[in-house]
Amino acid sequence: MSLEKPSRDTELDVGATEDGLDYDALADLLGGHVLDREEHVNAEGFVIRPDEVQDVLSTLRQEVGFDHLSCVTAQEYDDRYESIYHLRKYADPTQELSVVVPSPKDDPHNESAARVYDTADWHEREAYDLVGIEYDDHPDLRRILLPETWQGHPLSQDYNQDQPQIVPLRENANPLQDDHRSEDDPDTMFVNIGPHHPATHGVLHVETVLDGEQIASLEPDIGYLHRCEEQMCQQGTYRHQIMPYPDRWDYISAGILNEWAYARAAEDLADIEVPEYAQIIRTMSAEMCRIAAHMLALATFALDVFGDFTAVFQYGIRDREIVQNLLEDLTGQRLMFNYLRLGGVAWDLPEPREEYFEKVRDFLDGLPHKLEEYHDLVTGNEIFQMRCVDTGVLSRDQVKQYGATGPVARGSGVDYDLRRDDPYGYYDELDWDVVTEQGGDNFSRVLVRMREVEESARIISQCVDLLEDWPEDDREIQANVPRTLRPDPDKEVYRAVEGAKGELGIYIRSDGTDKPARFKIRSPCFSNLQTLPEMSQGEYIPDMIASLGSLDIVLGEVDR
Amino acid sequence: MQSAPLPETLANLLGFDPNSTPVMIVMSLIGAALIGTLMMTNTALAGPWAKRKITAAFTDRIAVNRIGPFGLFIIVADAVRLLSKELIVPEGVDRPAWDLAPLVIASTALLGFAVIPMGNGIQLADPEVGLAYVFATASMASVGLVMAGYASNNKYSFLGGLRAVAQNVAYEIPLILTGASVVIFAGSLQMSEIVAAQQQSLIGPLPSWYAFVNPFAFVLFLIANLAEVGRNPFDIPEAPTEIVAGYQTEYSSVYFVLVYLGEFIHIFLGGAIIATIFLGGPAGPVLPGIVWFMIKIWGVFLFTQWARSAVPRVRIDQLIEIGWKGMLVLSLANLLLTAVIVGVIA
Repeated sequence: MSLEKPSRDTELDVGATEDGLDYDALADLLGGHVLDREEHVNAEGFVIRPDEVQDVLSTLRQEVGFDHLSCVTAQEYDDRYESIYHLRKYADPTQELSVVVPSPKDDPHNESAARVYDTADWHEREAYDLVGIEYDDHPDLRRILLPETWQGHPLSQDYNQDQPQIVPLRENANPLQDDHRSEDDPDTMFVNIGPHHPATHGVLHVETVLDGEQIASLEPDIGYLHRCEEQMCQQGTYRHQIMPYPDRWDYISAGILNEWAYARAAEDLADIEVPEYAQIIRTMSAEMCRIAAHMLALATFALDVFGDFTAVFQYGIRDREIVQNLLEDLTGQRLMFNYLRLGGVAWDLPEPREEYFEKVRDFLDGLPHKLEEYHDLVTGNEIFQMRCVDTGVLSRDQVKQYGATGPVARGSGVDYDLRRDDPYGYYDELDWDVVTEQGGDNFSRVLVRMREVEESARIISQCVDLLEDWPEDDREIQANVPRTLRPDPDKEVYRAVEGAKGELGIYIRSDGTDKPARFKIRSPCFSNLQTLPEMSQGEYIPDMIASLGSLDIVLGEVDR
Repeated sequence: MQSAPLPETLANLLGFDPNSTPVMIVMSLIGAALIGTLMMTNTALAGPWAKRKITAAFTDRIAVNRIGPFGLFIIVADAVRLLSKELIVPEGVDRPAWDLAPLVIASTALLGFAVIPMGNGIQLADPEVGLAYVFATASMASVGLVMAGYASNNKYSFLGGLRAVAQNVAYEIPLILTGASVVIFAGSLQMSEIVAAQQQSLIGPLPSWYAFVNPFAFVLFLIANLAEVGRNPFDIPEAPTEIVAGYQTEYSSVYFVLVYLGEFIHIFLGGAIIATIFLGGPAGPVLPGIVWFMIKIWGVFLFTQWARSAVPRVRIDQLIEIGWKGMLVLSLANLLLTAVIVGVIA
């Protein structure tokens, strides 16, 4: 059964024991590199010197098997800057380690990790952009979310939040140069795909150099939808004011999945135990969100490959509408659910309960037939296969290098799903499978999503059975949580859940007040989008568009 | 069935001498205006409305239903909306090519209708090279596409224009070769002859339409025609999700209307050619010829919309491959086979 974890590579298991990681063994391995050890809620943090980052990380990667750099968190303290590299293993994400790299306040410099993990490239650019830490030996240290001409680093302490900044258009490169060729190769043509383009599904700008119709090189330019989500969360109180924001990251109806990411991190930080009944409701509603999100992913992918608002797109929207209605009945909202609370959910299932269960079951019963229809119309179509099989191929190693997760990783045969590997909610009590496909191409990613819809349906149906039989006097939807939540000072936690697009992680540092001192979002789309150049190099424009569609990014989550 | 071309009929009807040249010139112009109006009514008025309704039916929607019965008055609203939009002329466009392109695209396709026998004597002219003339006018649209693509000073338009040429060259040859196989059957390029040759019975009540006589050629022609008019799976020159709108990216207002109209006329011309050389032209029981002819054109239109709704788009390299390695070989084989069969039997 695929719920069992794949067997681990034994020689890479330094410090791995039955009760979790033995950090002493790891510290011994790193020897003098470890200056100090910190306790984080999720893992230990090893403090290392800023000029030994590459040494330490490559040792950890090669000898301990930390092949997944999940996130890079940067922050400024009163006396120092700090970068935290959150490491975990694809084979077992509960084995975690935080590598903490302090750098001096007056001249924050760090060695870059981009030579060890490709994914660090963008993560460090973001850290540089928002916090202002310089990463030495970084391949391309530029701003990533803010415009090139931005002054200051918004999350640093001396940044003036009240000073408006104007970014004039003339400061950007002229997209219509007289000579339509790139300078180093006269046979190529530079094309801006986006930020306003029918296929970018939002405001993504892909700077593309074409050789004929083939892609010579491309670079995604993000940040058009940057709304300072991290900072907004830092200014909200834990108890109520942060929860509405996650709905706005991956806004393609994956709201509850996102809320859960925050809920999980904050509950671990404040030691809140969620009642079982609420966990089942969470699990059910989260899976409904996943179905809705995957339906839309399928519909828009079909839009990209079929080329117009055709039948498949409309069918996808039509069927998503049913889930959307179920979610509306449950949460009162169609898009910004704001349904989870710290310690539980906002309210119980809608009354009459039987009617609601009936509706959910009707939807689940109709689903297999609908999926068959999609398979007939989409995956069974020869032209569709011609377009999608063996295009946009992403190998297993590339997936790990770029920290890709979710259906993108599973489409490349990386058996990684936090619902099973780092269980939360009620998932480990239920019977379902993690879906993987070996192809690594656009077709596999579509198949993974379609099969995941089936698995989500299985989960929902088991949840409905459980909820229906739940004793009436035991329907506890909310744990006892203080009205004003003040977690103990200087606690740090990094927790992730399996969002619709992959590993959605939240890092929170508390400072004893009712607001987080640092709130960092690890967006799965951000890491997944990084793989686009690898997938599309040398392919035709239509394949690049298809790959982009199969990555299923949401710009609200990429840019935050 | 054989009837005099339209100008002659008109002259006789109005009591003028059909042998005098000035009279015939005037009558030809009147006839051209009549046929033009008829086709424009179909393409510009009914076409966009029907397209909306047909696509909606395929995609499980309702489409226009608010203005007038069945939303029919949306046509008026559309006309006002499109014509009152600002005509934006982008910086650096190559005029007058940029201004001429929409005219070329729209008018060339319309020319083709001159030789199509639509039944009830509606045929402007019936030259001996009728079929060659139709193919010639239909392919002239490519010139307009290249003009639009190149003159727009936009990389997407440029790519779209080049794609259009590559596609039209790759598919026009199979199209014409398949048309030639019909010519071998009919023994004539003259449209009225081709129609007349399809009137006998093949088996029982089944007429000897070339779609029944040679279904292989019919299928080939239908597919090549999809590429010719640029509908899925071959809507590469526009490919909205890839190159925005291809050659028409920079056109707005009246120019956009003309480009769009040109496309519709092109689809209808494709339908008219198919109806004439494969579906017996205006032939059919009970109803008048012109009605049958329109039904057949709309049938082809329905087919293109169906393909558009249900079939994914192929990639440009795959399109070229299908064209040169598949369609061309098959259409040559079809031509040879037809020639051999006709040579041996007849």
